[in-house]
Amino acid sequence: MLKVENLHVSVEGKEILKGINLEIGAGEVHAIMGPNGSGKSTLSYVLSGREGYDITEGRVLFNGKDLFEMSVEERAWAGVFLAFQYPVEVPGVSNIYFLKAALNGIRKFQGLDELDAMDFISMVKSKMKDLDMDEKFLYRAVNEGFSGGEKKRNEILQMSVLEPTLCLLDETDSGLDIDALQIVAEGVNRLRDPKRSFVLVTHYQRLLDYIKPDYVHVLAHGKVVKSGGPELALELEEKGYAWVDEKIAS
Amino acid sequence: MSVMHLSNTHYTSLLSAHKNNLMGQDVSWLKSLRKKATEGFSVTGFPTLREEEWRYTNISPIEKKQFVVAEKPGKLDAAFVKAVLLEGCYHLVFVDGFYQAELSSMDGLPAGVTVSALSEALSEHEALIKSLLDSTVETPALGFVNFNTALFTDGAVISIEENTVLDKPIQLAFISSKEAALKLTNSRNLVLAKASSKASIIETFHSVEESCHHTNVITEVVVEPNANLSHNRLQAESLKAYHIGGVYSRLENNAIFNQSNYTFGANLSRCEIHGTLGEASDCTLNGLYVGQDKQHMDNHTRLNHAHPHAVSNEFYKGVLGDSSRGVFQGRIVVAQDAQKTDAKMNNRNLLLSDRAEVDAKPQLEIYADDVKCAHGVTVGQLDETAIFYLRSRGADKQTAKNMLTFAFANEMIEGIDFEPLRMAVLEELLKRFPQAGMKKEWL
Repeated sequence: MLKVENLHVSVEGKEILKGINLEIGAGEVHAIMGPNGSGKSTLSYVLSGREGYDITEGRVLFNGKDLFEMSVEERAWAGVFLAFQYPVEVPGVSNIYFLKAALNGIRKFQGLDELDAMDFISMVKSKMKDLDMDEKFLYRAVNEGFSGGEKKRNEILQMSVLEPTLCLLDETDSGLDIDALQIVAEGVNRLRDPKRSFVLVTHYQRLLDYIKPDYVHVLAHGKVVKSGGPELALELEEKGYAWVDEKIAS
Repeated sequence: MSVMHLSNTHYTSLLSAHKNNLMGQDVSWLKSLRKKATEGFSVTGFPTLREEEWRYTNISPIEKKQFVVAEKPGKLDAAFVKAVLLEGCYHLVFVDGFYQAELSSMDGLPAGVTVSALSEALSEHEALIKSLLDSTVETPALGFVNFNTALFTDGAVISIEENTVLDKPIQLAFISSKEAALKLTNSRNLVLAKASSKASIIETFHSVEESCHHTNVITEVVVEPNANLSHNRLQAESLKAYHIGGVYSRLENNAIFNQSNYTFGANLSRCEIHGTLGEASDCTLNGLYVGQDKQHMDNHTRLNHAHPHAVSNEFYKGVLGDSSRGVFQGRIVVAQDAQKTDAKMNNRNLLLSDRAEVDAKPQLEIYADDVKCAHGVTVGQLDETAIFYLRSRGADKQTAKNMLTFAFANEMIEGIDFEPLRMAVLEELLKRFPQAGMKKEWL
């Protein structure tokens, strides 16, 4: 589904990603772990199309298509979804309107009719219930005045309404207490599907207790320094990121 | 200089040419009031950029166009009238500055409420009209006020008796017909909300065609003790029109006055919203201006806190696209005796293009020492991270920008509690962004 080949990315002349290679198949869950400054967030932003990053080398193929030839919204239409580490507040735009505009944008791309208003609302409400979200959030401005946990839940709500095929979760566990983390993780697990892939970008192993990855990659200094199964995350948790640096040094 | 002189001659000569065929010729006090205004205007003419209050708005096009006076109402398509009249209101319709009885409807008006066209009410309500006319405008009057006083052809006179609550808003619809092209209309409205009464008035301004015409309309408002008056203004005239408006109010003790001012139309518009606040009175001024193309929109508010304990809240928002230009000047004067004044003024502007411009000038003059006064002005652009966020969810770039623009403007619209007016304002907003794919029921 996603193929990252020798990806080099710079920000204002400084190289952040120095040759990333990753291959993510349909239905797989990959965790990308790494210390602060390793380039984790840069990777998720570059994949979602945020401005301000220079791709100096390499390419990313999404279902065989060059991702960097696609605009931000074209990526969303094609099924790429980034759950933000810091979801953006959008004053004046209600959550329900936002979800509807987003879903209809995607449906239009897929050649489908707009969803009937009543069907849409009942669909969203049932997904909110799964995420233990109060219905009043529908009519509040997107993320405005939401707590950290509410914002993260709202990201997962969008993800479950838009049903992307590639879900990038950037530090989704940060700012969540244990109850919220479980709810968010259940929300993600409910979306697991043979046709849908996940990339979990995380500093800590904590999230991976609830969302079990198939593969774990360790990112350090802009490169994938180690890949393995879920046991790698446990090893990292035990030995800390210093262990990775030692491995690189040796 | 020579141009100034010539055009002043044009407009001054209009005043003398029409002095004998205006309403109220046989009413001596009115005749002398008009004479005084004519004399005032012949001295000052229209304001120029050299005057501090007008330094951002150049009205010389009005002088150059040499508009002539509309002498009779043009013909209208019934469907047009129907489309601009709001449901659930009493209606007074004016075409090219003349009252049109057959288009108006005041059926079911409760006892204790007077709603009439000036032209029809002068004999019956002479004392009322005399007490209100020229009673709230500053002296010496501005050029446009003098011009209006000298030349107004019609307008509404509204009086709400003590302890009377008006069940429905009164809409005053001012329509410029096809025949109004290159003509000017002068209207004057007079409103008196007597003690403990409650009423709502909506003034709307429309053009049948995208023609160049000039509207000069002034509304004088007196809100007596404990009365509650709401006044709304929706200006949606032709993009070639020149619109000069004014709402001059006097709030007596404990009076409540809510004024909302929505500006969408006209090539050049200037609106004066002035108020003098009595003791413990409460004044709210809300405004929204949405400019496109080369529109120039100037809103000028002036609140005079003359007595203690009054509260004022002012909030104006502007959206300026293309090469449009917005001006907001808000002036609050707190007199020495006006202790415990609580005055807030806020002006926020969104610029949608590099060519759009806004001049915002809050002015506080405080002579009392125990007051709360706050003001803030912001000028900004759409938030790039919010645009990215919306796009990352599947909204295309234009939709994302429009959503954020609508959201910014809608803050001034969503609070309109009279639904037909809210929808009318919303429609004006949506009309300006046809490519948006926005739906009003979503807002």
